[in-house]
Amino acid sequence: MSSPLPALTSPFKDKYTTLPSSSSSPSIATSDMHVSALTHVQRPQNPTFISQSSRGVASLPPVNSSFPQSTASLNHTPGNEDASWSLDQLQKFLDLPENAAAPAPNQLAESGTDVMASEDHDKKTDWHEWADDFINVPDPDWSRVLDDTNVLDSKLKVSKQQPQFHQNQPAPHGEFSSNAYPSSTTPTKPRMRWTPELHEAFLEAVNLLGGSERATPKGILKLMNVEGLTIYHVKSHLQKYRTARYMPESSEGTSEKKVTSIEKMKSIDLKTSIGITEALRMQMEVQKQLHEQLEIQRNLQLRIEEQGRYLQMMFEKQKKVENEKSGAPSSALDEAPSPLSGLNHLPCNNDKSDSEALHQDKSRIGIDSGNAGSKNEKGTADVSMKQKALETESTHHVEKNDDESGFPVLKRARTEK
Amino acid sequence: MKFGKWLKQQIEETLPAWRDKFLSYKELKKLVRLISSTESPEYGKVDAEAEFVYLLNNEIDKFNAFFMEQEEDFIIRHRELQQGIERVIDTWGPNGTKPSQAEYKDEMAKVRKDIVDFHGEMVLLVNYSNVNYTGLGKILKKYDKRTGRLLRLPFIQKVLEQPFFVTDLVSKLVKECENTIDEVFSVEVEEEIVKVQREAITVAEKLLSMQEIRRGSSTYGHFSLPPLDLPDSDLIHSFQLNSPIPTV
Repeated sequence: MSSPLPALTSPFKDKYTTLPSSSSSPSIATSDMHVSALTHVQRPQNPTFISQSSRGVASLPPVNSSFPQSTASLNHTPGNEDASWSLDQLQKFLDLPENAAAPAPNQLAESGTDVMASEDHDKKTDWHEWADDFINVPDPDWSRVLDDTNVLDSKLKVSKQQPQFHQNQPAPHGEFSSNAYPSSTTPTKPRMRWTPELHEAFLEAVNLLGGSERATPKGILKLMNVEGLTIYHVKSHLQKYRTARYMPESSEGTSEKKVTSIEKMKSIDLKTSIGITEALRMQMEVQKQLHEQLEIQRNLQLRIEEQGRYLQMMFEKQKKVENEKSGAPSSALDEAPSPLSGLNHLPCNNDKSDSEALHQDKSRIGIDSGNAGSKNEKGTADVSMKQKALETESTHHVEKNDDESGFPVLKRARTEK
Repeated sequence: MKFGKWLKQQIEETLPAWRDKFLSYKELKKLVRLISSTESPEYGKVDAEAEFVYLLNNEIDKFNAFFMEQEEDFIIRHRELQQGIERVIDTWGPNGTKPSQAEYKDEMAKVRKDIVDFHGEMVLLVNYSNVNYTGLGKILKKYDKRTGRLLRLPFIQKVLEQPFFVTDLVSKLVKECENTIDEVFSVEVEEEIVKVQREAITVAEKLLSMQEIRRGSSTYGHFSLPPLDLPDSDLIHSFQLNSPIPTV
């Protein structure tokens, strides 16, 4: 493979292409992690941005190395947000993929040493591209698509350079991440997020080319002229589009099968006595309500996490103040981490105000669910299924967020002083 | 294990094709238990830790992939439905190329059903996103509790940015469906309501007149029908009184 960053990209590529198999054999991955963990023991450790420094050298490395990896993967604009990362941390998590890619036969041998070597130069860009890789996921359907390609396409496949796409703005050109890395990290299966606007552009191109049957992916790609869009995206999208068009003509087979579980719930009696229209209307009502509740729940979750973040920030500020007061910053920092572990288990009074707010919201949700429930006494089992999902879900949601990791930490700061 | 059971339920009740796309909660819980157990050796714990985070990341990838694929399908279907409606109106509608009330009604009924089903599926996807998010939060909380670390807060922050959690587009499509359905429904439903009302009124009138006729009469004889006892006579009377449609 002749990409500019072979060392970094290939282990990852391999990790992903072999992912389906590796997921069924966790033992392989485990032993790899084990190996990497042991090697990490010998490395000097720096406090991570989680500020959970010396918890024991042996146990810490895998968490640090894997966790930064995950944050890297989850963050599609790593450059902006993680400027605070030390190079040591990068080094640590760069080790992990190298070992995790054990199942891959040929490439790993060279990549093992290569990773070590390339670690030191140009780390930041490496990491970005590696993060890109990490976000990409193999899709079983892709292999079929790829098999169908002609020679030209397979060449494209090998040398494909894919920037990572995420939906940022509504415009067709805006569905790629703002840092459009001209990445030489070629995962074979880049994941792209389609938008309605992009789809419109797609449709226009298809119509210009004479319809879904006659249009070719290459032609569509050219006409659409969207930066970063690849023929693979277009191909798979075209496939989906064709299926969707001809499905209704073939008596809506797929969609019916898909919603069989919902359909089955509808009793025949209901249909004949109340009429299909009424049944549909009730179904729609329930669905509407469920959606509303889901949105409320989601907003709650966002708010809760926001609060947690805020508290964490406050705690850190307070710690800073303490350190300045004591005038011995290093000693304070050293003391801080060890009691921390015990404190996560402390019950916290601060939780109450938060959980009260949550309970209020919960009761609101409960009331809404109740209303929906009574409305649909005549409803179908399908309706009640969705109802159940809704009610128990809000319970679970509220339960889960009753205490924040930030809280005990904050309390501890107070008791210390 | 309450959440675990509930999650199982959700998985059982969801569409068959979706069943393996949910969070592997049990698996993750096992790992957490392994990590925090007192018996396993040090390296075993380290193993489990690494595996835990590895699995978490894999799960998130899984969610993202599945979610975005479904989303893409929804975008296509949404557009197709819209075009379908336009086609029906343009063909069999009052101003269409071959206007036909019967055909129009039939086709519209089909379209309506499709929209409702489509709407339902999208809501299911939003639910899917939510279920998995909740599960992640819970398992992270367990992890934090058992190991004393602070993995949950920062990890969850990242999850919030993930494609599978950002359900804005799907929600938007859902609302558009609701609007479409309102438009499509209103035409049909009004007619039906009017029909039903008319029928109800005529039936009521007939019943009442029958009752009137069968009231005790002076010429009560062998062949006379007994007086008609209508249990809901109040209701029937109200039909008459409240009739908005003059039964001329």
